[in-house]
Amino acid sequence: MSAISFSKVTKVYRRSHLGRTTLIPGLNNLTLDIREGEIFGLLGLNGAGKTTTMKLVLGLLFPTSGTLNLFGQDPETSEAKKLLGYLPELPYFYSYLTPLEALRFYGSLSQMDPRSLKKRIEEVLVDVGLLVHRSKRVSEFSKGMLQRLGLAQAILHHPKLIILDEPVSGLDPLAIKEIRDLMTQVNQTGTTILLSSHSISEVEKICHRVGILVQGKLTRVLEQQDWSSEQGKLEQIFVETVKSESRQKQT
Amino acid sequence: MIPSLSTTLVLARNVFKEQIRIRAFQLILIFGGGALYAALLLGALAVDQEIRVLLDFGLGFMELMALIVAIFGAATSILKEIELKTIYLILSRPVTRTEYLLGRYLGLILTVFLSMLAMSLLHLSILFLKGWPWNPLYPLLVLLSYLKICVIAALGTLLAMLSTSILSAISLTFIFWTLGHFLTEVRFLIQKSQGIVVWFLKPLSFLIPNLQIFNLRDRWEAISQMTPLSTLNLSLSYTLLYSSACLFLAQWLLRRKEF
Repeated sequence: MSAISFSKVTKVYRRSHLGRTTLIPGLNNLTLDIREGEIFGLLGLNGAGKTTTMKLVLGLLFPTSGTLNLFGQDPETSEAKKLLGYLPELPYFYSYLTPLEALRFYGSLSQMDPRSLKKRIEEVLVDVGLLVHRSKRVSEFSKGMLQRLGLAQAILHHPKLIILDEPVSGLDPLAIKEIRDLMTQVNQTGTTILLSSHSISEVEKICHRVGILVQGKLTRVLEQQDWSSEQGKLEQIFVETVKSESRQKQT
Repeated sequence: MIPSLSTTLVLARNVFKEQIRIRAFQLILIFGGGALYAALLLGALAVDQEIRVLLDFGLGFMELMALIVAIFGAATSILKEIELKTIYLILSRPVTRTEYLLGRYLGLILTVFLSMLAMSLLHLSILFLKGWPWNPLYPLLVLLSYLKICVIAALGTLLAMLSTSILSAISLTFIFWTLGHFLTEVRFLIQKSQGIVVWFLKPLSFLIPNLQIFNLRDRWEAISQMTPLSTLNLSLSYTLLYSSACLFLAQWLLRRKEF
């Protein structure tokens, strides 16, 4: 079974200003199956449709046309959402909470059993290296610490699918390595990961497949063997794809 | 789908935590306490009407403080959550938008309830200090004030869903709050108006809450002859109906919103 299945999904944003409505294409006719257990990377320039794709899966946006489902279920349902973990590009937390309180809150919302939740919080805090900071207010956290907490809340409830929007952006090299190792570790337990990143070298290291989005259109899907033979191959393919697609659009 | 009570309560508890931890709320409570204390001075100026002045000012201040908490809480909280994107991590979990909205509303009215309780205890202690003889209608008046705040909090939540900015949501809620105290006059003026304005104003007048039914404070002398139970029944039913209608519309709008 596919973890996520997109069938001819199109998203058009409507922006109204002074009585005039402008239609902005976000995603164009996306058909894609993300296999269970794989790490799938989305590559694209800013505005290519990466975040739109993720928000559609999360139910934060609704498709203009087409259908998508999560493990064969409607993504709007609670059953489907129980299977999801999400790390936004900039993790947004209530600044008045401590990591302990934040994770208790998100765990309860994910309908976790209170007894197992307590134990699990300790575990994920150790995994992301925040155990010593568990009683500090989130408002005192650096960007790297917020990103770690973001990852902790995303994996807390053992989701079957994790969506990571720019998981390593703004992190120092050591933190990038730790987060990469954690993602690999989580994936080895059978969890599917969908991630977007501007860092091609990161995508290259951990993804099994990669999709290249250009102006809302999925132009290529690559398997690991397409880039693993040569260092820097993925970057080369990405640049060529984006340039040729842009040229085609101009002509 | 029926909203899950446990999810709604988790959200409500978080809103309560949020409200009591923000500096603005703490300042409002301190100011409320200070204002109640200041009523002592006003009472002293009123000479033989000291207790009456203490009673009226105290109840008035209490309602005003609770109103500020409710309007700011209702009109700003969801819009702020959208702006700060904290809503993303909630709605990407098994939480329906109806549960989210109900949780925020319940958390807010719980905060208002506890702050009004604290302020009324302070008020009562000042009154007893001045030799006020206990009147069992006092809790009724506080409760009616609280129900009024529940109504305005529900309306504020709805207006926040219709507004694009925090400022417009707050302003609209304040306007409706003011109009709600003059509903009879507003309806009379609409009746006397002519032309196309009536078509616009008439439906709008149905949206204005009738806050006069909660205002027994102004008739302190007469309320001793009233039956508290019937007054409470009417106010309670009105609060339930009006708030439910506002929250139903608000969740309908929220379910169509994209982030």
